Amino acid sequence: MWVLVALFLPLFPLSVVQNMLLARIPRPLARSALLLLLPQVGVTLLHTLHPPIPGFLVTWALLSSAFYALRLLTVRDLELWSGLFVSSALALTWGVAARGADVTTLRLFAFWFSLPATLLVLLTASLARRMGAAYAGLFTGLAQSQPRLAGVLTLVVLSIIATPPFPGFFALLDILHGFGGAAALSVLGVWLIWGWAATRVLQGFNSSNGREISGGDLGMSSVVGYAVTLVVFAAAGFLFTRGGL
Amino acid sequence: MSLTLGRRLRIRAMVHVAGEPIPFLWPMRTFIHHNPLYGLEHLPFAEAVRQGRRLFHARGFLPRALYQRYLAQGTVDVDTLAQQVRCFLAGAPALEGINLHKLLMTLLTETSAAVTARVTLAEAGDIHAALTGAALPACAVDQAALAAQVKTALPFDCPVYVGVDELFGTDIGTTLDELVVKSCLDFFDEGQSVWQMPGREHGLFAAWSALARRNLRLFIRGLHIQRILAQGDTPEGIISYVMGELRVPEEAWVEYFERSLARLHGWAGFIQWRSGAKHYHWGQRYPADLVDYLAIRLVLGLALLREHATRLKAPGDAESLARFIDERPAEAYLRREYYGKYVLPEMARVVGDTIASGRRARIERLLPTYLARKRADEANRQAAALRGLADRAGLGVALSHLTPDELGILLATLSRFEHAEGPMWLAAQEAHYLKQLAGGLDLNLSAPRAKRPFAQLLFCIDVRSERIRRHLERIGDYQTFGIAGFFGIPVGFIGLDKGSETDLCPVVVTPKNLVLELAIARNPEDQAFVSVLEHVFHDLKASVLSPYITVEAIGLLFGLDMFGKTLAPLAYNRWRSRLHPEKPDSRLLLDKITREQADSVIRALQRAMIVKALGSELGIEREAITDEMIRELRETALDHQATATGFAQRFKLSADAERHFIERLRSAYRINRHYTQLQLERLGRIGFTLDEQVNFVAQALRSIGLIAGFSRFVLLAGHGSTTENNPYESALDCGACGGNHGIISARVLAQIANKPLVRERLRNQGIDIPDDAWFVPAFHNTTTDELRLCDLDLLPASHLVYMERLSNGLQAAAHLCAAERMPALDYRDFNADSMSAYRTARRNSLDWSQVRPEWGLSRNAAFIIGRRQLTQALDLNGRAFLHSYDYRCDLRGRLLETILSGPLVVGQWINMEHYFSAVDNAHYGSGSKVYHNIAGRFGVMTGNLSDLRTGLPAQTVLKNGVPYHEPLRLITVIEAPFGHAQRAIDSVANVRNLVHNGWVRMAIADPDTQILHVFEDGAWQPRILSVAGDQGAIQELRI
Repeated sequence: MWVLVALFLPLFPLSVVQNMLLARIPRPLARSALLLLLPQVGVTLLHTLHPPIPGFLVTWALLSSAFYALRLLTVRDLELWSGLFVSSALALTWGVAARGADVTTLRLFAFWFSLPATLLVLLTASLARRMGAAYAGLFTGLAQSQPRLAGVLTLVVLSIIATPPFPGFFALLDILHGFGGAAALSVLGVWLIWGWAATRVLQGFNSSNGREISGGDLGMSSVVGYAVTLVVFAAAGFLFTRGGL
Repeated sequence: MSLTLGRRLRIRAMVHVAGEPIPFLWPMRTFIHHNPLYGLEHLPFAEAVRQGRRLFHARGFLPRALYQRYLAQGTVDVDTLAQQVRCFLAGAPALEGINLHKLLMTLLTETSAAVTARVTLAEAGDIHAALTGAALPACAVDQAALAAQVKTALPFDCPVYVGVDELFGTDIGTTLDELVVKSCLDFFDEGQSVWQMPGREHGLFAAWSALARRNLRLFIRGLHIQRILAQGDTPEGIISYVMGELRVPEEAWVEYFERSLARLHGWAGFIQWRSGAKHYHWGQRYPADLVDYLAIRLVLGLALLREHATRLKAPGDAESLARFIDERPAEAYLRREYYGKYVLPEMARVVGDTIASGRRARIERLLPTYLARKRADEANRQAAALRGLADRAGLGVALSHLTPDELGILLATLSRFEHAEGPMWLAAQEAHYLKQLAGGLDLNLSAPRAKRPFAQLLFCIDVRSERIRRHLERIGDYQTFGIAGFFGIPVGFIGLDKGSETDLCPVVVTPKNLVLELAIARNPEDQAFVSVLEHVFHDLKASVLSPYITVEAIGLLFGLDMFGKTLAPLAYNRWRSRLHPEKPDSRLLLDKITREQADSVIRALQRAMIVKALGSELGIEREAITDEMIRELRETALDHQATATGFAQRFKLSADAERHFIERLRSAYRINRHYTQLQLERLGRIGFTLDEQVNFVAQALRSIGLIAGFSRFVLLAGHGSTTENNPYESALDCGACGGNHGIISARVLAQIANKPLVRERLRNQGIDIPDDAWFVPAFHNTTTDELRLCDLDLLPASHLVYMERLSNGLQAAAHLCAAERMPALDYRDFNADSMSAYRTARRNSLDWSQVRPEWGLSRNAAFIIGRRQLTQALDLNGRAFLHSYDYRCDLRGRLLETILSGPLVVGQWINMEHYFSAVDNAHYGSGSKVYHNIAGRFGVMTGNLSDLRTGLPAQTVLKNGVPYHEPLRLITVIEAPFGHAQRAIDSVANVRNLVHNGWVRMAIADPDTQILHVFEDGAWQPRILSVAGDQGAIQELRI
């Protein structure tokens, strides 16, 4: 049964299955829906098992999260990047569960990371339409050629890696409060690597030197759509996490 | 490795040749506008631009979309553009059914993106198939061709690390640049750092290598510098060793060096200038040249290559890189595609993964698929672009009827055209400007004035003078002239309290004479408390530990300063200036001193030094010694006598003590024969002989045609700018004064021209300056438009009654000028209120947050050499350098030659600096000021570590991301008979080359024939000029 849960709240090597599944779905909307749905299925299954979760599984989850975080540093394809990030972030759900969190907290924790990931998937599709592929470092900086797209991409990536005021930040603060020394340090390390990986990927899109990008900038309606979603997302985070207090 | 002298000289010569295309970079203190492609001026303009692209990766023409913008604004002459296209097609093969002229004009005027994209694999047959919807013809993979393609992109003269970076995705080039910049910052620092690099007096390479041998950080990174440095004891030896290790054939060394130097061309240009600047204090004290610099670059480059070669198993020299490409062409090709960012985006992931796997079989399997996809992609893109163009030109059907061979011809023609279109746009823009200008020229000779004007003003030729001259002429009885801002007198100047000499003349001239500024009366107590306090603050900020305490203790004071400067810059600066003592009145020492006077000056100085030495070395007060003892000591120190017996006896000094003191006088106080001789030589440079003074005044007045009808006031307006927090301040000052304020030059000429003896001699030469004419120096502040009169205490009493009228006139013109300028700086409300505009201009000059205090010389386009009447009816919008010249005063053409060889060349440098900074601000310009940091007190870097930024910042030439400065080559118009002007041009070789190579667009307006002769396509083309005021009426002359 643990194996089944590990398929939905991905732990290495079972996470490979989820990543392969995501990679094979061409439609961004379908991929986004899966990203939102799969972790919730995992949480439901976990809840039905009634923890306590064995200690080795928590350790394994932390290692799995760290592994995917490190993997992010070497990936330039944004489509792959979002999948790997979700694998790294959702593995931490095991840690939240191990602390005896209720099902709502678990569902929200998974949601705080999977929602920005779905936004990133949608943005990836926009980038691929313009560039042929959302591959960092191939094109001249988006910041100059398509500033709106660059701005939205930056905000979405910041929201995914749990920077304040987005809910992931408060959710991770909560984990750090709950964990003991070594585990908390591990989570902190993973968090730092996310930041590093995000910087690299943003740099690769926003300020690199490469070939010219054809196609226009993101439409204003799309920008408003992303902005409203992020604002509501941040507000919901404050509401449900109470600012991590 | 110890090299023979011949070998060392050979390497030095190679480096020297390699450095020729690198433009000089002067220290920011005296920003010198110069042509970034100065080293390539021997080539035609278009060819030099191509070389510039190769060396500096910089663009020489605007993108087509920006030219189309100008076309929409009506500043491009469409007829000239069409004519240029016709000329291009004259040598191109015709295609049946395709109106090539129409197609190319459509391409120029209606298509913003390039049509012939980078096509490397698709051939005409493929594109034809894509156009007709057929399947692409089969094509076998030719591995040799792939290897050749990669090798062409990475030739032998290209630094090896560039090849490794391209094929292995390493970042050696960037790392190398960072290490080199850090080394340069350490060595060339001019007082910005508190802790200085040790051993700098031994030279760049020696100081650096001594440190690098012990540099633990480099060692930890795996860079074994000491092993390389052990191979040679001279920079030439090291260069020879490294080039041998890199296996670069010796015949490619010069190109290799050239590319290595061009990589950080700002630093290389600064070092090149510095090594040749004989009077540059820092250069003399801490010597460095390009050979040192190149040796450091090569050592670090080799160390980095070796480290990467070991870690990544990458090639470490040119031969193994070539071997790698030959032996593994598929991998080399895919690597270059991926790391060179040419890869098909949709295949980037698979190509990246395959290369990372390192399995040759997998790479070989991927290659055919990749090539097929890439070929199809290129063919489809090319076909789509071509179809779009043809449809816009109404030639879609004709295009579809072309055979593959014809399509190949069409594509080749289009490709050549797109490479050649920049000069066409430029010529069409210049033609438009020239038409506008020529249409308004007034070549008629005016009748002599009935009465002399109220005042005559001599302004610098600077484009910013044109506005104020126009306003002055409009509001009152003012006659204005344009002359190079140093007024034709090249001087070295030592100002009050300054220890060093500043050259006040164009950089192409070396001043022979020195002018000293002496205070009339000053009290040492005047040294303001605030000035001392400022020095203390500076020291506190600059030391290692004190800043921590300083911030806590007096940080609030800095906060007040910040608020004052930011919120109320005008009021705050007014208050702050009151804290400083006013600069005392001064005079300039202009007359030559005799040998006796020089001796006397030196004697007085040496006596003062001896009194000082006695006090500090022996504690003997002045009261205790006599003049005779001082004389005795001086004579002894100068070896004129053996001992100072009287002095020694009076103070009971032993022979040893006396000898020791004399030795101190010689060494520490420099009272010795050698230094005395040096001082004598320096004193010999001070001032001008009477003949020189007369000649300078006569030459200045004749060159502008002012030899009679002198007014009561002859104002000599030198110009400069006043801005805050602006490293580019000197770029706004007078270029003819070597990037300094022009007021000193104005004071020099005024002081000379007011001398009765000089006027008497001038009278003998036919220049009769009446006794009531008074030359008054003035300062034209180009940031505020203020005109301030100087040395008024010398003004005769008879003139004081007219001062009110003069001041009012100058003030009114300044206000009107500000009102004209402010809208261009985006202050749109001041069209009606000139006083508010003037206040805003003054605020700009004191606002430390202002990145664009004035537009400076931006939008400069023309250089007019002629009488004022020639362009007086025109509003030139501050875009023209105006040099007054009356050919009737210059029968032999010598004055014109002087104007061409000095002011015109300075104008051309300014023009080219602006041109290239506008067309490619990232490479030829210095980018945005917002990211600038001062480097070592002599340059500017972007961020904390970069090449020294050359050229002008974006805020000077761009507005909202597009050029504010319309990049045109300097359109020069000389008003003179054709033969007269042509002879002058031909006799100045430098200018002739500039004209013939297309760096300057030259036109001669012949007042005798009313024909404008324009130098175009290698010959003088005559055009008929209209009568003045009939704008644009200029026609081809059909003979």
